[in-house]
Amino acid sequence: MGKAAREASRERLKQERERAKKRAARAKMLGVVGAALAVVLVVVGGGYLFLSQQRAQEQEFADRYEDLPPQTLQQDGSVVLAGKGVEAPAVEVYADFQCPACKQFENASGPTLQQLAAEGEAIVHYRPVSIFAQAEAPLSANSLRGAAAARAAADHDAFVQYNDLLFENQPPEGSEGFAVEDLKQWGEDAGIDDPEFAERVEAESKVVATFTDDYMPRLRSAAQEQLNESEIQEMGLAGLIEWGGDNGVDGSFLQDTYVKEVIDATAAVKDRYSSGANAFGGTPSVYVNGEKMGDAAFSGDGVRDAVQQAEPGEVSTEPLAAGAGADAGASPEPEVSP
Amino acid sequence: MDTTHHSATPTEPAAAPRRWAAIQPWLTLLARLALAGVLAWAAVSKLPPALSVQSVEAYQLFSPGVAEFIGFTLPLLELAFALLLLLGLATRYVGAASGLLMVVFIAGIVSAWARGLDIDCGCFGTGGQVAEGETSYGLDIARDLGFLALAALIAIRPRSPLALDRLFGLYR
Repeated sequence: MGKAAREASRERLKQERERAKKRAARAKMLGVVGAALAVVLVVVGGGYLFLSQQRAQEQEFADRYEDLPPQTLQQDGSVVLAGKGVEAPAVEVYADFQCPACKQFENASGPTLQQLAAEGEAIVHYRPVSIFAQAEAPLSANSLRGAAAARAAADHDAFVQYNDLLFENQPPEGSEGFAVEDLKQWGEDAGIDDPEFAERVEAESKVVATFTDDYMPRLRSAAQEQLNESEIQEMGLAGLIEWGGDNGVDGSFLQDTYVKEVIDATAAVKDRYSSGANAFGGTPSVYVNGEKMGDAAFSGDGVRDAVQQAEPGEVSTEPLAAGAGADAGASPEPEVSP
Repeated sequence: MDTTHHSATPTEPAAAPRRWAAIQPWLTLLARLALAGVLAWAAVSKLPPALSVQSVEAYQLFSPGVAEFIGFTLPLLELAFALLLLLGLATRYVGAASGLLMVVFIAGIVSAWARGLDIDCGCFGTGGQVAEGETSYGLDIARDLGFLALAALIAIRPRSPLALDRLFGLYR
């Protein structure tokens, strides 16, 4: 073998070794990347399976209205869902039908709450509020129309069904929704066949229109002329309406309406939970025996755990009309003035 | 991608590069741990998934079904990246992927800002609607740019101590 040939073969061997080294390095890299991908797959895939199974379990009790205990309308327009004479923790749910977070809360935890009530494990106290009443329409109008219609459904012992239907059909924030025709239809879907319901929904919706389109702008400008912003904030909407009555902005069209009732209920919760860790800061807010729940409220399991760790509690409101028929509880029809 | 660029240089390096060579692996380790912590906290604070879904929906970019899927999987993805950064497995690629994730987050925040939405970015904990004037898009983007810088360091200089990669002879 000549010198040149020897050198050529040495060079070839060297190149081959280099190539083998590179191949090994690439194989190693592929192995490591593959292992990393496997970790991602296990964590994401496994986690997803776990979470969706959990959700499926939480939904097991959805729409089982025939299994629900009695719904009892309270003096402030709230509704208690509990078996007769049940001693269990009291769970207060404050929600606005237009609030997206409340929809998420209802999706995740609503069926579990109904199940806990059905099992006698909890006294579930639905306390609708309107945190958007002072916002711009259509946000305010949707919120108030929804709340008033739900209150009307409560007159016919169908609040819980109607509550679920409203959240299911919640309009996107900023667009017109909860139309009168839909609100009436959902009443039928919830099993209300009394025509009084539809009449009430129509009357309340007119009150809402007067409130957002005519009354509120007048009240706001009158208030801004005579009060400063922090005084207005301080009063809250219910206080402002009262102030308007003494200062030439007539709010008498709100008397005995469900619209006013939910505005008052909203003011009341701000007083009830005014400071400290339990302060009411927005919707949804869930209180177990007066103790505010954190993010755990957004899962059925979280709510169940909180209820199981709590002692039996008391409902802070009184039933509207003990022993009376459903309709006897309804307030008189509101007078609608333009 | 070249993975053997850090082979020892035979010539005597200058003092500054030598110091950098000594410090860099520890900087990368710090970046790995910091980014892992950030991602893990971001994941945990988004749960339960109903909260995370709500944060995604607030961006108004996806249909409800897609928003729900993202809401369920995003915290899990963040958790997986955090785990891999902690272990130091496929460090360069996980760093790059985390950086990409930050770019996507920044793009989402910019789009919310540009559309005049009033939302919390939902980066940590609950997102969703906030009052007008209570947004903090600039701050959120600056913070994500910081995380992007950490991710870039990890991707460009993946060599670091306490990494599984070293067991496989990578980035030694």
